[in-house]
Amino acid sequence: MRPVGFYLLILSMMTSTIAHAHPVIYGGGKVVSSFNMPSYSDNQLMYSMTSKWAAGLNHWRFTKEDRNTELGLARLNHLLYRNNGEDSQANLYLLSGVGLVDAELEVKGTREAYMGGFETDWESRTLFVALKHYQFTSPGLFDLGMTQARIGFSPAETPFDQLQTWFMLQAMYMPATDRSVMVTPLLRFFYHNVLWEVGSSTRGEWMTNLMVHF
Amino acid sequence: MKVLAFSLFALVSIAGLRAEDITVKVNGMVCSLCAQGIQKKFKAISSVQEIKVDLSSKLVSIKTQNANDLADDKIKTIITEAGYNVASIERK
Repeated sequence: MRPVGFYLLILSMMTSTIAHAHPVIYGGGKVVSSFNMPSYSDNQLMYSMTSKWAAGLNHWRFTKEDRNTELGLARLNHLLYRNNGEDSQANLYLLSGVGLVDAELEVKGTREAYMGGFETDWESRTLFVALKHYQFTSPGLFDLGMTQARIGFSPAETPFDQLQTWFMLQAMYMPATDRSVMVTPLLRFFYHNVLWEVGSSTRGEWMTNLMVHF
Repeated sequence: MKVLAFSLFALVSIAGLRAEDITVKVNGMVCSLCAQGIQKKFKAISSVQEIKVDLSSKLVSIKTQNANDLADDKIKTIITEAGYNVASIERK
């Protein structure tokens, strides 16, 4: 195994029990998350220094026809804007990362890689909409963009200490691995500090997501 | 005069030792994870005896050991640092 691949594997193992973390949470808060689909996975271990800044480790895998590309990144997220309404919250986050890519989607090789992106969402206790975009690049080796949109609703406003259920629809566009938009209906559950999601795309790809706040 | 001053001092001291219930209305607190963050921040304060979060009414209820243990400014700082806004604070 190549040395870089070994380090990527170690990073993956460190974060593999953990997704789609909220990019930044309260100061001193930690998030572990693990999002998994056959076409890609996203594992994160993040620490929020303040309610506006978070840093951590992030492992990505992109798969196309048995060819994997993996990235290990040091991440820095920033909450650029938040609007706290009486019954809602809106956010805009900036996302960045720097690390290594072990690529074999188009060109094979291992090199430094960079990630930039944004995430915006609006949520109330029963409605949720979100849009995020990630752009990954390693000059001359790898270039991948991923856009994801979500809309969801919860049929009931359940108390803080009870299980809350959400119905969601996710649309994802990642032209480097697939030219079409992948639509995934999913269920989201909240219980105390744990969020988990299960779904299956209209193409039959399963999806799981687990996120825990500490 | 000395008796009056002592009585006033005693009254103020007794009032300060009485437990206090504080109700804070928080804007932006819409999910369990938001509530958990706020709860965790207040639980870390030694003078807080009890903390309850009601997501439906967006209210955080805090019980302190003594009155004036938790000033309004301190509450606002904790809520703001957790990422939310204080709409109002009521004390009983």
